[in-house]
This record gives sequence, structure tokens and C-alpha cells, in this order.
Amino acid sequence: MSTEQQRVSWSDSFSDAQTAIQSLSTILSSSVPPTVSSSDSPASALLNDPQLASQISHHLRQPDSGSGDNQLCRWLYDTFHTSKHDLQLVVLRFLPILAGVYLSRIPLRKPLAGFEAVLLAIYAHETASRNGQPITVNIADLSHPSVYHEIKHPPYKTTATSTEPNPAVISPGLEPQGTIRATKRARIIGVALELYYSKIVEMPVQSKLDFCEFCIVWAGEDGEFYKDYPDYDDNKRREEEDDHIEGGEKKMKEKKEGRILLPWEMMQPILRILGHCVMGINKNDEKNKDLHETACCAIRSLYARALHDINPKAILAVGSLLKLIKYQKTCVDHTELPHTKVIHL
Amino acid sequence: MKKQQEAQALIGRLEYQRGNVEAALKVFEGIDIPAAIERLQSISNDKKSGSHSESGPQQGANLVLEAIYLKTKSLQKLNRVNDAAEECKKVLDAVEKIFPHGIPDAFVETKLQETISRAVQLLPQLWAEAGCYQEAVSSYRRALLTQWNLDNECCARIQTNFAVFLLYSGVQVDPPATSTQIDRTYVPKNNLEEAILLLMILMRKFSLGKAKWDPTVVEHLTFALSICSLQSTVLAKQLEEVIPGVIHRVQLWKTLALCCNQRATALDLLKKALHKHEKPDDITSLLLAAKLCSEDGFLAAQGTEYAQRAVDDCKNRNQDLKGVCLRVSGLCYGKQAIVSSSDYERSRLQSEALKSLEEAIDLEPDNSDLVFELAIQYAMHRDLNNALRLSKQYIDATGGSMLKGWRLLALILSAQQRFQEAEVVTSAALDETAKWDQGPLLRLKAKLRIAQSRHMDAIETYRQLLALIQAQKKSYGSVQTTNQVEDDRVNEYEVWQGLANLYSSLSRWKDAEICLEKAREIIECSSETLHVEGTIYQRRGEIDEALATYVNSLLLEASYVPSKISIGAIMSDRGLPMLPVARTMLSDALRLEPTNRMAWLHLGHVHKLDGRLSDAIDSFQAASMLEESDPIESF
Repeated sequence: MSTEQQRVSWSDSFSDAQTAIQSLSTILSSSVPPTVSSSDSPASALLNDPQLASQISHHLRQPDSGSGDNQLCRWLYDTFHTSKHDLQLVVLRFLPILAGVYLSRIPLRKPLAGFEAVLLAIYAHETASRNGQPITVNIADLSHPSVYHEIKHPPYKTTATSTEPNPAVISPGLEPQGTIRATKRARIIGVALELYYSKIVEMPVQSKLDFCEFCIVWAGEDGEFYKDYPDYDDNKRREEEDDHIEGGEKKMKEKKEGRILLPWEMMQPILRILGHCVMGINKNDEKNKDLHETACCAIRSLYARALHDINPKAILAVGSLLKLIKYQKTCVDHTELPHTKVIHL
Repeated sequence: MKKQQEAQALIGRLEYQRGNVEAALKVFEGIDIPAAIERLQSISNDKKSGSHSESGPQQGANLVLEAIYLKTKSLQKLNRVNDAAEECKKVLDAVEKIFPHGIPDAFVETKLQETISRAVQLLPQLWAEAGCYQEAVSSYRRALLTQWNLDNECCARIQTNFAVFLLYSGVQVDPPATSTQIDRTYVPKNNLEEAILLLMILMRKFSLGKAKWDPTVVEHLTFALSICSLQSTVLAKQLEEVIPGVIHRVQLWKTLALCCNQRATALDLLKKALHKHEKPDDITSLLLAAKLCSEDGFLAAQGTEYAQRAVDDCKNRNQDLKGVCLRVSGLCYGKQAIVSSSDYERSRLQSEALKSLEEAIDLEPDNSDLVFELAIQYAMHRDLNNALRLSKQYIDATGGSMLKGWRLLALILSAQQRFQEAEVVTSAALDETAKWDQGPLLRLKAKLRIAQSRHMDAIETYRQLLALIQAQKKSYGSVQTTNQVEDDRVNEYEVWQGLANLYSSLSRWKDAEICLEKAREIIECSSETLHVEGTIYQRRGEIDEALATYVNSLLLEASYVPSKISIGAIMSDRGLPMLPVARTMLSDALRLEPTNRMAWLHLGHVHKLDGRLSDAIDSFQAASMLEESDPIESF
């Protein structure tokens, strides 16, 4: 059933995607690459074509890109509103850059209505699809059996004891928002990032890479000190620090420019995305090498930030990712034959 | 024929082990695998009826299966992941064909089993690498739910791998199907639940000694539970079950402190970790301990010590953290200043706080939290110009996203007696706030309107506030408010209280009574309500009743400052013999709240009546100075 449905939506989105490409070609200064405009699957080409992506990214980073009458924002907004899954992915693909540029421009008091419209569209979509309800999970309690384990002695007092599963809220309920009120900004972007995370498998590497780079900017702290975390080598560290003082002062100043507040409502989806970028990708793939490295760098920066904020929750979560990176380096492949010089029959 | 195949398999393995993957693959491709499997199948069937534990066919089976497995590995190394997965699946299908009744126990310790275990482990990884996520999931589940005679270590590894897949792959996985609906069985509904279940099972295996400790598991679990907010207690419980010695004790205390919700417990754990025989200069623990102390006036003195140790530590290393050490040191001094009982001590602590925070901001000029904290500290120090500048800077840097920034700016303006501007700021803040979270701002607005003697407007604002509270009460539970306001929700009681005060100042006794009645419905007996009741009596000229009510409120809460001041004021009107009482009351109030303007004012009166004119002048001066810098709510 599902394949048939997909086919229907595919042919349906074909014309929408064609229209989207046409209107995009009027916006971009250089023409849309022929690989996209003449593609059999235009939506997927829009999502994956690197040349087109860099054109759009370049546009989004222009100084006047976020204003209300910006054509590209308009295009992203319209494309998202086609309600075609594969075209919505195209919009989400640019979410990292859009959110990154948007957040860094907040203190500059520039007009940002264009960006906000896109963000609100994504938020509204999520609100509708979740029906405003919070996302919760029930944490397992091992005193009950499950598919993966049995228990020998079931608890006698099944009603009185606290053997109920522990509910936890992953993402609180959503209210519709007509505009981006400043105090709701982090939540709206957080929800958009949650949606991005849920589609992350379909996102091109470059999009995730953009995201990691913005994380480093947002953290606004130098993570290089935590390269060998959790092993501190004081001497080495000191050397590194000296290096920084000599050569890196200007660089650090530059880096700190985009530091933003990172409340948990944004931090949580950020960490899930970064977790994917270090643990959930195929590291053997050449394309992913850069991503892995940048994600590690982002995690180190966020750890430095968590320490600066003395934020226990973030120290715990980011710290565990840092340790996992460390363990990753020393992991053994158990599917390999053991090394031996003896020939067994 | 058979011998030839075995020889080929052997050659293939040798090539593989030498690293000649392509050559190995060529050799393996030359083996007619389906035929070999069929033959093994028939031997296995024969064996069931005939001889037992004969090494010949077993060895043959092993060689063939290993050949397929190594073909898989070769394909994987040549980046033909899809082919590799198909091939690996064949190993497992072959095993099921050869041993339709499960693998005989006799084989458990053999090389055959080793190959099977490797294949079971590898298959889901290959599917995942190939991007066939549904296949990956089903082969993970097949691995875990089918009897492959896997040893505990291998099973634990697969569980870990699956949990990692569920946690990080970003793939939305359908929950496992349950064939038997046993009551009270836990069925995970999504990735996160399933991953956490698997990781918890692994943790239990470790503590029962059924599998070798794998440090990654606890980190994955920490990450997964951190994602679910408020699940720190679950994590703490898991950590406590870990057998001693596996995690270094200092590390364990630190982690437990990080996931501990109670300040006292967390601090105890950190004290252990920072003991001189453990790791006394661990910067994270020091910072955390200092931060915890900075939240409680009575612990703040301890906190300054921790912060000082952290600052000293930064001279040698961790220079990048110097700013945050100074910051937390400043916070501790500031908090200590608030509870300090002597004037001299207080001003010393306040200057220390300012000094530390100023040093910190030199190092981290872009840290907006620091900007806010310094603004507060300046405001406490009544350096309102600097406070104003910084609070504006904070709003700019955060883009107005923080309620507390708006509130601070409005309060600083109110302290400068610029009520109108403060109200404009509050209105701007209301625009940036969702209806649901407007409570504290509305309360502030009402107070600002009272300060401008716009009583009717204030009543209107209180009405809005009450409507909001009613709406919140109705939908309480269904809508969960988010972070910022949760700790700052306006309570209904406070609103009735404020409104009663307002009506009583307008001499609308009846309305005031109604409001007080409403307040009493929520908290039956409180010093605040009694105090408002007292002021109503006092304003109506029923002084004795007023006095009695004030005394009652003090009996309820001995350190309730407004009642002390009111009693002091009444006593000072009762002529010379009562002046010592009035003076005691007012001095007492000032000990508790040194910046209380009304207390200074009445004390001035007492001094004047008593003939101590220079004291009176000092007191009046203090009162008038404070009046010029008194915020409408405390900062």
C-alpha cells in the first residue's frame, strides 16, 4: 500500500517541483544547474544537488536575505506550503543556514520577517501534525518483562509499588503562534530542529555540516582544550594554551561573535542532531569524514560552553558524547577474524 | 568435488588474511555455495538419525559457512555493502537450513558457532551501512529474538549496537511486534524507549556479571536519559547499581551530583569528590559546588571558598575557565551580601562581588548571562546608571528573549522613579510574550500603575491578571507551560492580596474585604493577609484592632518586616513611654531589611520625638535616598 501511495505523491509532486524550480530560476542570479532543471525526479534533485545548494546558501547568507520581501524566503515559504513531503525536505535542508543566519542577526535589529515566516510555517506544520500534544516516552522499568528480557520473580505487590513506567516529556505541548515573539523564539526554532532531526536520514551531508558549523558559532567557546577529554594532559594543554595566546587571539574574537543563549529547548534537538552526526553515520564513507570531524568539534565547543554556563544537564549530556567520541577511536571490530599465524582447518 | 571446495575455501581464507581481498573474493566466487549447503543439509539430517558428534561434517559446514562469511567481509571491504549484506544473509539462512531444529549444543564451543555469531553481528551493521534501515532493524531483532546460541558477550554487543542504531540513526523504527500479549509486559513504542530498554538490560547484565563491562553503555544511557528531561533520578538509580570499582568513585560522585535534583545531596557528593585525598582541584566539581552554593544565602560563604579554589586552579591551567570561576565567585559574594547582618560586612561583600564580576566580564565580554548578573549586582549596589546600561545591553544581546531581562530593566527604571518609561518597557515585554506567560509582567504593570496613582488602570490590569489565572487554572495539566515562566508563575493569592491593598488605599473597604476573603480561601492564615487587614483597620482609624492584627501576623511569622514597621509606626504615635518599643521594632525591621525605606522614615520620627536630632537627620536622609532608588519589586 505504502509504495503505491508514494508513487501517487511522487507524480503529484513532480509538477509542483517543476514549478518550484522555475520560480527558483527567476530568483537566483546564476541559472539553475541543468542537472536539476532537466531531472526526472526534480524534488530529489532540488534536495541533493550540491551546486544548487551552494547557490541558495550563498543567497541566504547575503546581508539583506531575511527581509519580508526577500524572494528566496518567499520561495522557501511557498515550497514548504506545497505540503509535498519531498519538497518540504528541500526547505528543511536549508534550515541550519536559515536558523543560523537568523539567530546571528537578532542583536543587529535587522528586518527578519522573511526568515520568520519560514520558521513559523515549519512550526505550524509541526503543531498541526502533533495536534499540539506533548511528545512523551515511558522509560522502561526492568521489573516488568519485555521482548528482550524475562524476569524470574515477578513482583508480588503489583499495584502498590512504584513499578509503573516512568513517563518523561521529550517535547512539551505546542500552542499555535502567529508571530515570533522574542520569548518564544528558542522554542519555535527548537521545534523546527526537532522536525529536522526526524528527517535527518534524508538530509544531504552538506546540510548537516552547515548545522555543525553553526553550533560552533552558537557555542562561542573554544573547544580545542577538550580534544583528549576525559584525559587531561596538563603539559600539552598548557602548550596549546600558549599557542592560542600567541596566534589565536584574533581568531577567538571572531569566533565569539555569534554566541547565543542556548536554553534546553534548543540544546536538546541540537544534541540529538550532533549525536547522529558522530554516532549515527557511516564513518567509512568518505563523504562523512568531514562531517564527523566537524561534529566532534561542535561537541567540544558545546562542552566548553556547558562548563561556562555551569549547566549540569548539558555537562552531563555533552560530556557523555565527548567520552563516546573518545571510545569510538579505540573500538575493536568484533566481526573481523582474529589475527593468527596458525592455519586452522 | 567436496574436497576441492574445502580447499578453495581454505585458499580464500588465506588470501583474505593476507589482505588480498580481491583475490579472496575471486576464490570465494568460484565455490558453488548452494550445492555445498544442500549437501550439508543432507548430512545434518542423516546425522540426526545416525552417529553423534562426528567432526567431519561439522568441519565441512564450518568451512563453507566461513567461506560465505569471508566473502561478505571481502565485499564489505570493497565497499560493495549491498552485496555484502545479501551474502551475509545467506550465512544465516544456510544455518537455518542446515540446522532446522536449532544449532545442536555440541557445536556451541566450536568455530562454527564463532562464524555464526560473527555473521549475526555483522548483518544488521551491513544493512545500516547500505542504508537499508528497515532490513537493519529486522535483522537486529532477528538476531536478538532468535536462538542463535550466542554467548553473553556477543549478545551484549548486538544489544549495544542496536541501541546505538536506535538512538542515533535518526530512522523512525516501528515498535517490535509482540506475539503474546502478556499483561504488564513492557512494550517500547519508539526508538528512544527501545534503546533505553536495551541499555538498561545491558546495565543489569553488567551488574550481574553476565557480560563484561562496556563503558560506552553507561554513556549512551546517560545521553538517552538526558534527552528525556527530568529523568535524572532514573539515571542516578542506574549508576548506583553499577558494581563498585568499575567507574572511578570520584567520577561516579561527580556524575551523580550532576544528575541530582536536590541541592544538599549534590553538594554532599561534590564534597566527597573534592576531599583532599580525592580530587581536590577538579575544576568541574569546584565550579558546580560553587554554583550550587551561590543559590542559597547560607551556603554562599562556602561557595566563595570553592570559587576561590577554582580561581587559584585557573592560574596554572584551565585558563579558558578563569572567567566563569570569577563569575561564580562574584555570585557567591553577592548572595552572601544579601544575608549578611552587618552593614560593614555587606558593603565589603558587595564590592567583592562587583570586583569579581567586573573582572569576569573583562575576560568574557560577550557572555550575556554575565552581563545580566553584573546588572543585578550594580542594581543591588544602587549603581543604577551602570545597571541600566547593562540591562539594556542584555536585552539587545538576547534579542529580548528573556523575560527576566525585561523585568530587570523595568525595575531599574522604577527605581529611578521613571515609572512611565518602566510601564512602556513592560508593555513592550508583554508584546514579546505569549498570553500564557504574561502573569509576572501584568503584576509588574499593575504595581507601576499604582506607583503613578493611576488606581483605576491598576485595577483593570489586576482584572486581566485574574482572568489569565482563571484560564490557567482551567486548563492546568492539559497545557504545559515551558521553561521560563514555570518558576515565576504568578499565584492567585498574591493577586488578591495586591488588589486588597489597592482597594484599601482607595478606602473601598468592602471591595478590599472581598479580596481578602478570596485570599483567605487560598491560604487561610498568613502574615501578609493579616497585615493588609491591619492596614484596613488602621486607615479606618480603628488603631487597637489594627495593632492586634499586626501582632497576630508577627506571631505567625516572627520576621515579617511590614508588620514590624506598622507596629513601630503606631507605637511612635503613642507618646514618649512607647518610643523604646517603636525603636526596637524598627531597628529589628532594618536588621532584616536594611534598605527598607519606610522603616528608616519611621525611625527618623522616633529619633526626632526622642530629641536625637542628628540621628533623626541621618535616618530621614537614608529614607529619602532610598526613596530615590527603590524598585517597585525587589530585583
